[in-house]
Amino acid sequence: MRLTRRQFDLTALTTLCASGLHAPHFPLWLNLTITLLIATRWLQRRLRPDWGKPPALLRLPLTLALPVAVWLQYGNIFGLDPGSVFAVGMLVLKLTESETARDARAVSTFAMFVLMAALLFEQDLLTTLYVGLGSIPLLLTLRSLETEERTASVPAAPALGNLGASLAAVLANLFAAAPLALIVFLFLPRLAAPLWSAQTAAQGKTGLNDSMSPGNLGQLLLDDSPAFRVSFDTAVPPPAQRYWRGVVLWRYDGQRWSRAGGVPLDPVRQPLKPLAAEIGYEITQEPSQKRWLFGLDIPTSDPVGAQRDEDYTLAAPRPIGKLTVYRLRSALTYSLDGLDSRQRLRGLRLPAGLNPRALALGKEWARQHDDPVKIVQAALELIRRDFRYTLTPPPLGRNAMDDFLFETKAGYCEHFSSAFAVLMRAAGIPTRVVLGYQGGYWSDVGNYMVVRQSDAHAWNEVWLPDRGWVRVDPTAAVRPDRVELGAGTVNSSGSAWFGREWALAMRNRWDLVNRLWTQVVVQFDDLTQRGLLRSVGIEQADWRQLGITFALCMGLLAGLGLWWALRRDHGGDALDQAYERLCARLAKRLDITRAPAEGPADYLRRVLQHQPQARASVEPLLLQYMQLRYAQSTIEPATVRAFARAVRKADLHRSPAR
Amino acid sequence: MTATSPDSPLVLPADLRTRLDRSVAQVNSVLLGKSMQVNLAFVSLIAGGHLLIEDLPGVGKTTLAHALAATLDLGFQRIQFTSDLLPSDIIGVGIFERDNNRFEFHAGPLFAQLVLADEINRATPKTQSALLEAMAEQQVTVDGRTHALPLPFIVVATQNPLDLAGTYPLPDSQLDRFMLRISLDYPSREAERELLTSTNRQELIATLQACMSADDIHTLRQLVGNVIASPALIDYLQALISATRSHADIRVGLSPRAGLALLAAARAQALVNGRGYVLPEDVQAVFVPVTAHRLTLAGGGQRDRIGVTRDLLASVAVR
Repeated sequence: MRLTRRQFDLTALTTLCASGLHAPHFPLWLNLTITLLIATRWLQRRLRPDWGKPPALLRLPLTLALPVAVWLQYGNIFGLDPGSVFAVGMLVLKLTESETARDARAVSTFAMFVLMAALLFEQDLLTTLYVGLGSIPLLLTLRSLETEERTASVPAAPALGNLGASLAAVLANLFAAAPLALIVFLFLPRLAAPLWSAQTAAQGKTGLNDSMSPGNLGQLLLDDSPAFRVSFDTAVPPPAQRYWRGVVLWRYDGQRWSRAGGVPLDPVRQPLKPLAAEIGYEITQEPSQKRWLFGLDIPTSDPVGAQRDEDYTLAAPRPIGKLTVYRLRSALTYSLDGLDSRQRLRGLRLPAGLNPRALALGKEWARQHDDPVKIVQAALELIRRDFRYTLTPPPLGRNAMDDFLFETKAGYCEHFSSAFAVLMRAAGIPTRVVLGYQGGYWSDVGNYMVVRQSDAHAWNEVWLPDRGWVRVDPTAAVRPDRVELGAGTVNSSGSAWFGREWALAMRNRWDLVNRLWTQVVVQFDDLTQRGLLRSVGIEQADWRQLGITFALCMGLLAGLGLWWALRRDHGGDALDQAYERLCARLAKRLDITRAPAEGPADYLRRVLQHQPQARASVEPLLLQYMQLRYAQSTIEPATVRAFARAVRKADLHRSPAR
Repeated sequence: MTATSPDSPLVLPADLRTRLDRSVAQVNSVLLGKSMQVNLAFVSLIAGGHLLIEDLPGVGKTTLAHALAATLDLGFQRIQFTSDLLPSDIIGVGIFERDNNRFEFHAGPLFAQLVLADEINRATPKTQSALLEAMAEQQVTVDGRTHALPLPFIVVATQNPLDLAGTYPLPDSQLDRFMLRISLDYPSREAERELLTSTNRQELIATLQACMSADDIHTLRQLVGNVIASPALIDYLQALISATRSHADIRVGLSPRAGLALLAAARAQALVNGRGYVLPEDVQAVFVPVTAHRLTLAGGGQRDRIGVTRDLLASVAVR
């Protein structure tokens, strides 16, 4: 049986939707080829349907070209990306040779798999919605095939229903499947680790690096995606205090700042004294593929299972591949002491032979001022006076800091913190660079703060003999509003879109929804499941218990569905339902049950025989029913409604005992 | 049937209604305590079917037929079926007329509006067939010439189910020609007492006045086609028919012709009840007489056909 035009169009649309979902992670040429193939086949089917499917001579090379293309693109045919290209390629090739209902069914089934595969790449709300939407043409296709078969067997059946009716039926099906999905979601035993390796987070997309060289933060500052979200136990800290400390960098090779080994914190040698009340908060960190955790400057506790280095860098035991939640406490004002000789050495080391002018300037300052605070102020003053903040700084040469300090004088936090550190070290003040985030948008609605990748920031900590480590943010010297208003405001010079108020508000609203989705759905793992089940009284939610609950719920749903279907089957129309209600009421009130095979007139006679006093209330109703049901060929819905109303309102009181 | 007759789109003309009621009452006054069978006889009459009365001798089969004939102003003939009865004995015969020098058709007793075929199973299948053919086609063909039977043409046949020696039981296919098959059964105690104490039935029948004419029957048969059978009722009818086809004890279920007969009889029943539409009760009232003789049971056996049909009726739900 050949596909009709409508059926083929729907199949093609299904394929287009399924492959469209994968478009974002496919190379452009592949997307173009796919679209071209689908369009060609569709046009051919429309203009020259007599050609049928393409000849084997054409199909075979196409099929063989697929693995070759995958190999050329990815250098390998295994893995998530090549796999998805394979799947989509197969789907499209299947469409090109689809002629029969069986083909269309195969395409639909496989398209479902391809749709699902999109969730391996992204699991956010939008992708999930897209997958849901993509299943609509798919279900429409299957439905159109069904109708075709029915009309084939029963010639008198009505012509194909219009698309709207099919769409309504498909939506109703999806709606009816929702409780099923909910049960599967809640009760299906979950694996502690995912079946497929945790490639789920986009590989190209990482958070802060653990090293810094001028220019590599630039992309990050334009990345709008959230880095982590925070909910506070106490008051929200003011914007100027929102320094989210990440990685501390010590080593400088003239280009890159990098970490110096992780020595665990020894609280005796690096004593931390909070000078104000600590605040507690909870951070939900997006996957970053890095070990680093973030805390407000400066964390006084370490998250469970994490490690705190001597420079108060927090690190998880392994790279963060999925959404991670941890609790922290921080002191916003503090005194951090304890600089041993090794640290001092590291805090002063500079690459030999590079940046001679910067070094000279540092030494000059050291000669002029004996108070380190003065030196810091001199540096900040220099930056404030001469420098310009820009996300598109001019390139720097081999003596990068000399070029920056004395030639280009334009850059962003990376340049400022790097230059500042070089100057301080030259002047003999132990200095380190801190990478982290600064700022965060507080959502009153969601009662949480979102910190985005674009809030990434770099600043310094200098060691002053009498105060210990002190945070200095040289970027704040050139752009104080960077700290006060957040990165979004300042970086907007790069692209006007970010600056719009409403766009910002939209993004933040959307973030709220997405966060809810992640928290409730994506993060729902075996632990959450156990917690949820415990709250409804299932203490030990092992797979056996879960399996039983799951089976029970499924059985219940199946029973409900069956009951509905059976009841619907001979439940008849609204008139039948009203009559049934009337009979049920009579059976209850007058204690006279209608036998299934008893007609209305016989029933009426029996009622009147046993309960003559009920004549006034019962007789008109039953007579009306007989009139409606048997005395006319077509039934007015309005009269049926009136009858149903009369049945509801009927006063069927049992007679006083005789 | 029903205690009430709600407003219906079709009401019999008042005088016709009166005549019908009076006819029914008159037959009932002769055949005591058999109102159901009398009712069915009128149903058969109105629906244009033929009636088969099957019962023991002496319970009033012939009396019913006679009372009907006397009440209806119709030409009446009685044919006593015997084993030596020939088709020409009932249909008629072509006789050579010397005066006109050609064959002249002399109509047999079948040429009447109401024919009582007494003890139909005593005749040979050949004669039975001649009768049944005439019943189906309302005409007879003799010597290549077709003669229409007078209208209305109603056959009331009787047969004795017990005394089977020397009889030719009607095959199922021929039983199908009768719209209804009823049995009379013994009268009730009161009816029998009155029977014993009152006038001789024969004399009583002789005094009866004709209440309905052939025209009345014609009108009734036209009106019965207007009785409404709603979709819901057709559903019920179909459910009943398909139940006979899937019933475990029934080998051969109802044919479409049986379904048509059932609907026609139900319509007539509704009309007799003075209703312009058919209720499931009407179908139920005629279901056993219409279908019992048309079903072939899986195990064989005659009498419990009625039991099976009653079970069937109780098993199919009315909505």
